[in-house]
Amino acid sequence: MRLLLVEDNVALADELCAGLQQLGYAVDWLADGRDAAYQGAVEPYDLIILDLGLPGLSGLEVLAQWRAAAISTPVLILTARSTWSERIDGLKAGADDYLTKPFHQEELYLRVQALLRRSHGFANQNHLQAAGLGLDEARQIVHSQGQEIELTGAEFRLLRYFMLHQGQILSKSHLAEHLYDGETERDSNVLEVHVNHLRRKLGRTVIETHRGQGYRFTGAGVQP
Amino acid sequence: MKHSIQRQLTFSLAMLLVVVGLVLAQAGLWIVDRGLRQHMQDNLQTQAESLLAALIKGPQGIELNSRHHDAVFLKPFSGHYFIIEFNQQRWRSRSLWDFELPEVEAMGFSEQLRPGPEQQQLLIYQGQYRRYKTDIKVTVAHDYSPVLISFQQAQIIGGGLGLLALLLTLLLQWRLVRRALQPLEQARVQIEQLQLGQRSQLEQDAPVELQPLVQQVNRLLLHTEDTLQRSRKGLGNLGHALKTPLAVLMSLLRREELQKQPELLALIQEQLQQIEQRIQRELTRARLSGDALPGAFFECGQELPGLFQLMNRVHGDVLTLSWQAAANLRLPYERDDILEMLGNLLDNACKWADSRVELGIEQVGTDYCVRVDDDGPGIEESQRQQVQKRGSRLDEQSAGHGLGLGIVRDIVETLGGTLQLLDSPLGGLRVEIQLPTRL
Repeated sequence: MRLLLVEDNVALADELCAGLQQLGYAVDWLADGRDAAYQGAVEPYDLIILDLGLPGLSGLEVLAQWRAAAISTPVLILTARSTWSERIDGLKAGADDYLTKPFHQEELYLRVQALLRRSHGFANQNHLQAAGLGLDEARQIVHSQGQEIELTGAEFRLLRYFMLHQGQILSKSHLAEHLYDGETERDSNVLEVHVNHLRRKLGRTVIETHRGQGYRFTGAGVQP
Repeated sequence: MKHSIQRQLTFSLAMLLVVVGLVLAQAGLWIVDRGLRQHMQDNLQTQAESLLAALIKGPQGIELNSRHHDAVFLKPFSGHYFIIEFNQQRWRSRSLWDFELPEVEAMGFSEQLRPGPEQQQLLIYQGQYRRYKTDIKVTVAHDYSPVLISFQQAQIIGGGLGLLALLLTLLLQWRLVRRALQPLEQARVQIEQLQLGQRSQLEQDAPVELQPLVQQVNRLLLHTEDTLQRSRKGLGNLGHALKTPLAVLMSLLRREELQKQPELLALIQEQLQQIEQRIQRELTRARLSGDALPGAFFECGQELPGLFQLMNRVHGDVLTLSWQAAANLRLPYERDDILEMLGNLLDNACKWADSRVELGIEQVGTDYCVRVDDDGPGIEESQRQQVQKRGSRLDEQSAGHGLGLGIVRDIVETLGGTLQLLDSPLGGLRVEIQLPTRL
């Protein structure tokens, strides 16, 4: 999952970046509204956390530009402006969720998880569940048929992405774009290694290889 | 009764017309009366002199040549009378019949009218002459009452006509004034609409006399709106400036160094929470516009779906939220204030509800009634007072019913309404708010 964090307060952004990375998200950080309007429209983010009081261009205008350009990436607004009319205006501008400052980081992370699940059609779920697998995003472990299976950070990130995109064929470059932030070296061999690790832990047929196209998470034949 | 320009104008005009009319009519009558009397006095003098001329020296002394005086002196009570006195002789005209002319001492004309026979009013002239070496006193009298009677008739007719003219004038004036005051009336209606929130500016095309007023009102309205927006913006900026550092501080609490000091952590956490709530409460209070801005509206049909979409985002997984209000219902208040009130009410209800929260807004006469029901545990009747009171304190500590309702109460008070905590038919708490129409 690759996120864009647009926040002009450096201290807060540092804290949030660190927290989000701990949770296995690839995070890009921007502080200026104009940069955000451009980069949010070009890079394939899975979710954007947007502050409203930005230098350069206000958050609401940035959001309006994205939505006008038919960019449907889920956007979570993060702002000190907490009145209900501002919240509603934010939603009308196309935001998917709204969190007011100050907030507990856990609250933000829960909202991010919920928003990601919702945007992929997993409504009304407190945990990500797909194909008999249940992912505990806080502890980074997967439940399979009553058993807990430990995952490394990389495996967790990959599995989460697969579970959210069950049944879709995902190319290696697509996966690399969504699992690593803009500054990480992308090596497709590393991806293959992680896919193989997941197959070993969950079952060989869980992830299909489509030659020349990419991988497909079917969830079939989950084995303990 | 209140002061009204229309009424005052009509009243003063009527008074003026009555006074001037009466004075003019009376003066006219007086002038005519004087002229007539003068004329009659001249006549009387002529008559007296012609009577004198009719006296001839006959065989038995002085005689009255009856051929030389008018027949009117012969007909009884004809209104024309004479008495001729000389040398202890006294001749009376036949017309006097058995009536004795009142005594008049002075020579010449008597100033006053004297009573005559058959309610006649007599003008009397008395002259002293000397003829045929004899002192002759001639008294002539003329009935003036027919003139008086016609004066009375003239007064009645004139009064009637005057009254009619007065009524017509007043009617005309009333309509003229009404037409002239039409712009004022329009301005009054517009100001009423302003207060009801049906418009935000007065019409510019007022007459010259009203232009400064209209422009001033419009300028004030713009100024108020501008000031309000600016102070809101300023407050928003302040909030932003304070809350972001707060968010940073709260993030820092996750640091391992602090996690090792749970007591310190709890203390800092509590203080931060207090700062946050205090800022939140004060910002909301300061932002409240009350009825400072006319032309503001809360359109239920337009705003409620958005609000409920937002509520459903947060609570929709667990709760069923519904609202009921006429689609075209508009509350004449600031959109922001009503949204803030409803948002806090609903948020509060959602925190406590088990499965359902319902909002109802309706117009009751000139007031508006807002009800929020939940099916949660409710509040014991004995504790309701306390909950409301606690929410109103500035050093409010606990969130939940207290803080949310405190903000709601601030808003309701600013709008001049009342808030009541009741039992809900859903089983939990019902918060009922009555908002009056602004006047």
